[in-house]
Amino acid sequence: MNQLRIGIREERRIFQPDDELVGAAGWELDTPPKSVEVRLLWFTRGKGTEDVGVVDTVTFENPQAAEARPFRFQLPATPYSFSGKLISLLWAVELIALPSKDSTRAEFALAPDGQEVRLDRA
Amino acid sequence: MRACDNPFSTDRVQGVRYRPVGATWKDLLSRLDALDFRAAIVGPKGTGKTTLLEDLAPRLRSLGFTPKPLRLDEEHRVFPDGFLPNFFADLGSRDIILLDGAEQLPRWHWWRFRRWSREGRGLIVTAHRPGLLPVLIECRTTPELLDGVLTELLGEVGPELRERGRRLFQQHRGNLREVLRSLYDDFARRPEGADIA
Repeated sequence: MNQLRIGIREERRIFQPDDELVGAAGWELDTPPKSVEVRLLWFTRGKGTEDVGVVDTVTFENPQAAEARPFRFQLPATPYSFSGKLISLLWAVELIALPSKDSTRAEFALAPDGQEVRLDRA
Repeated sequence: MRACDNPFSTDRVQGVRYRPVGATWKDLLSRLDALDFRAAIVGPKGTGKTTLLEDLAPRLRSLGFTPKPLRLDEEHRVFPDGFLPNFFADLGSRDIILLDGAEQLPRWHWWRFRRWSREGRGLIVTAHRPGLLPVLIECRTTPELLDGVLTELLGEVGPELRERGRRLFQQHRGNLREVLRSLYDDFARRPEGADIA
């Protein structure tokens, strides 16, 4: 059975714009994958159509069936994480194995004041 | 409640997959085979036709076919100029077209589409009413199906929410999509930290 894990150093869940994000990804797959990537992305969640933007990607060369690799990203300045009643914008690092497309995510917030922007409190 | 915490957010609702009512997946695939993989999934809005069509794809793939999904809706009633000739030119003998929203096509376009589709192995469509192809299944919903969906989304469903779901089910005439959207709005109005069940 395929298992994937992704973690952010010190389980940090809040980042400032332009911060560096460091983490590690691990996988145990039935067969060696063709490719393994970690994607830095933002996405929306709520009522209606979801939107997603992949900002950066780290591709691991010559992946074995089971191993662990570190990764790091330079975070951009925007968009900030925010939440209202109809839509939230969240950030995540996503580990994906190809071609099986097995994946897992670790979510975090990117915001200047140490917490997501709340539209209902603005 | 924040949108990302709402148990009826789009991504969570889309995670609930098709549950055959009155049939099993084995029954459906046997009937599809008997219909030579040319069939229609029919039913009113919000009864799971699109979800069933999507969930057929991996099952067809496991039988050695290649699903070719296409989608039309009220905003896109026909395919872009030049799209279909290329699509059908590439169609292989193991390809099965999965056309969601077939009733959107004007009649003449549908007849042409149906004729051209014979180049492939099969054609499965969704429509609100019978008449386009032999019926594979008529999708329908029940209050019990809604209860199952709510349990899958929330883990536990209290009597008040169950009753609210039943009322919405009647109000929306069995359209589960609209029921779940209404429940999203109910939950959006709740204060943070409220018990979701």
